[in-house]
Amino acid sequence: MRFELSEDQQEIQGAARELLAARSTFARVREVAEREEAAPTGMPDLSAVTTTREDEALWKELGELGWTGIAVPEEHGGQGLGVIELAAITEELGYAVAPVPFLGSVAAALVVQHEGSEEQREDWLPHLAAGGLRGAVTLTGDRAPVPGAAEGGLTVVADAAANGPAALYGPGSGVVEEVDAIDPTRGHGRVAIDALDPEGELDGRGEWLGGTPTATGPGLDRATIVVAAELVGVAQRALDMTVAYVKERRQFGVPVGSFQAVQHGAAQMLRDVTMARSLTYHAAWMADAGDPAQLPVAAAMAKAAASDAGRAVTAAAVQLHGGIGFTWEADVHWLLKRAQVDAALLGGGGHHRRRVAAAQAAGGSGSGSGA
Amino acid sequence: MDLTFTPEQLAFRDELRTWLREHGPAGALPPEPTDEDEQWAWRRAWQRTLHEGRWAGVHWPTEVGGRGATLSETAIFFEELGRAGAPLPADVLGILLAGPTLMVWGDDAQKERLLPTILSADETWCQGFSEPDAGSDFGAVKTRAVKEGDEWVVTGQKVWTSGAQYAKWCMLVARTDQDAPKHKGLTYFVLDMEQEGVDIRPLVQITGHPEFNEIFLDGARIPDSMVVGGVGNGWKVALTTLMNERAGLAFFLQVRLRQQLDRLVAEAQATGRADDPLIADRLADLHVRTEALRLMAWKGLTAIEQYGQPGPEGSLTKWLWSETNQLLVQLAVDVVGSEALTGNAGWAFELLRARGNSIEGGTTEIQKNIVAERVLGMPRGR
Ligand SMILES: Cc1cc2nc3c(=O)[nH]c(=O)nc-3n(C[C@H](O)[C@H](O)[C@H](O)COP(=O)(O)OP(=O)(O)OC[C@H]3O[C@@H](n4cnc5c(N)ncnc54)[C@H](O)[C@@H]3O)c2cc1C
Repeated sequence: MRFELSEDQQEIQGAARELLAARSTFARVREVAEREEAAPTGMPDLSAVTTTREDEALWKELGELGWTGIAVPEEHGGQGLGVIELAAITEELGYAVAPVPFLGSVAAALVVQHEGSEEQREDWLPHLAAGGLRGAVTLTGDRAPVPGAAEGGLTVVADAAANGPAALYGPGSGVVEEVDAIDPTRGHGRVAIDALDPEGELDGRGEWLGGTPTATGPGLDRATIVVAAELVGVAQRALDMTVAYVKERRQFGVPVGSFQAVQHGAAQMLRDVTMARSLTYHAAWMADAGDPAQLPVAAAMAKAAASDAGRAVTAAAVQLHGGIGFTWEADVHWLLKRAQVDAALLGGGGHHRRRVAAAQAAGGSGSGSGA
Repeated sequence: MDLTFTPEQLAFRDELRTWLREHGPAGALPPEPTDEDEQWAWRRAWQRTLHEGRWAGVHWPTEVGGRGATLSETAIFFEELGRAGAPLPADVLGILLAGPTLMVWGDDAQKERLLPTILSADETWCQGFSEPDAGSDFGAVKTRAVKEGDEWVVTGQKVWTSGAQYAKWCMLVARTDQDAPKHKGLTYFVLDMEQEGVDIRPLVQITGHPEFNEIFLDGARIPDSMVVGGVGNGWKVALTTLMNERAGLAFFLQVRLRQQLDRLVAEAQATGRADDPLIADRLADLHVRTEALRLMAWKGLTAIEQYGQPGPEGSLTKWLWSETNQLLVQLAVDVVGSEALTGNAGWAFELLRARGNSIEGGTTEIQKNIVAERVLGMPRGR
């Protein structure tokens, strides 16, 4: 029993943090977010895709470093590592609010890998792994903006009830409408598909994931865990920034961080982050090495805690920064916005608690045996 | 990361499970009485049974009657105890707090005299830290100990002392230097409760049970040989006790929480209340919190195994546990209704007893202070 990243895993995470501290500074995030003109993405075969919301150079670099393919099997051009390693990196991308379409792409790769047909894997995984193709995952009926969803990318739409099928829409399928989401640090699309009808033909625009309309599960669960990991990183950054700020900011002749109301607010932030992180890495471990029967609830618990923590902690960060926290000039709003989108992505806290409740009703929520 | 148990740990767990099946609630253990004195006798008998099976102090070294179990095995022990629905041993304070504190700070004579009777429950312990004017402000202790020859003469009052009515020994913190700054003039003693000058008066709790007491000390005597960790070191020694308090119980308490939750889920399903989406949401939230607690406890344990002592993070789990338990019993009122609001047993008792969770062992406010200052490094509070 060792509830801590292994040395290799810590090394991967440390390297990610170091690189992103240099590449994805708040100054750079701001520059990308405030860019007016559409810029080419630099993706070779998809030059028609443009967005103002991305750091193309960083995205390219991440692809070259193999981050985008870290959890993709080697036979499909990835590095063949697990969800734990992917979560560790994704946490850092959240921490840095990196302006890249990473989250959607790795989430799509997980779903294709675990639920796609062999042909679909061969078709899509190498491109996703290399970062040349962006991906996105969303649920049916979900009108939330989907990070990474673009007309030129690969879009996975999964049944929100989790016992329905998922469909896969390739570049140019016409299901994505690009939108300006509240999070201006990356591109988003809206995918207006209310339901997937197993009897229907997907309008000829898409294909069934796995070739037939079968219930989604292990891929979507993994994608959900990765979204939770990004939220953990976003919330941790909000906490770190807040603690640093309240140590410096003085009112009534003392640092505001010496006031108990402020201290207790920060303590609550830490508690929320700690809960979310514990559940997220537990779920990641379940995905890589645990009992597959326990994965759905583990993933649901992680996302429920991370969605709530992401919202609460970034809101508290704005509050504890006072007036400056409410300005465009202060950087905490990038975190709040990213957290709001991620909290809704692939279902919010309520959605995932419903899944836990359903498992409880079926007597399968697991009573935490065997750690 | 590796969240699997080693073969040794699994063997330990299976041996314990087998033993518990025979001796625990499903086997030889009679049902729990409701009368407080009878309940104490029952738990004491249970501790003897545990001791006979060498399960009383699993984390104690073998030389003093323990199993020399690792931290993980100790955690497994508490999880299994909870899972079997078995009670804690009677003298939790002795096994988890006094014993480990003596092992760190006590001298050989103290260990020889005091340790053996803890595991067998022949002599039990209480914790005399709090006073009327020194609760959260534990450093403000006023009870005085004055040296006379090779004895200390103690005068003062302690309060909220759990189990004092049954205890032979008290972990007593008293002021031995009036002039030294607040935290510096304290000394940690072992006080014999069975003597003149020790007056124990029951304090009835919100539940109607007298679980804790006031202790009036008037000329009680402590031989110099019962000073633990040296005169003037009371604050440091007491911190060892408090750290163990926050870390040690985490495992048992979270399993107890899990059992309560399973029971509540079953009742909610049986009555159809679980179909109410708001109830279902709260049940699921409790599941998420309980699971987070379990994982945080294991995570804390990995850290202890890596770096030694329990850290201030124990404050996070203590706080989360008390809050979750309180949410759970409140939900029970909404689920089972009448049963939670009538009588003085079952959910009704739990509903009231849970209010103490965020006060005992340091209030939630104090835990938050500790987290802010010692984990997050924020400036000293005001
Ligand atoms: C069931 C139970 C069993 C107990 N068993 C024992 C025992 O066996 N031995 C023992 O020694 N003690 C025991 N205690 C006592 C317990 O440790 C104290 O009650 C506790 O530390 C709080 O102290 P207090 O009651 O004096 O409250 P106070 O310190 O008077 O606190 C009153 C309120 O003020 C808040 N407060 C105080 N200081 C601060 C601060 N600095 N910042 C923010 N808020 C603050 C508190 O959080 C609380 O809400 C027990 C208590 C209970 C409820």
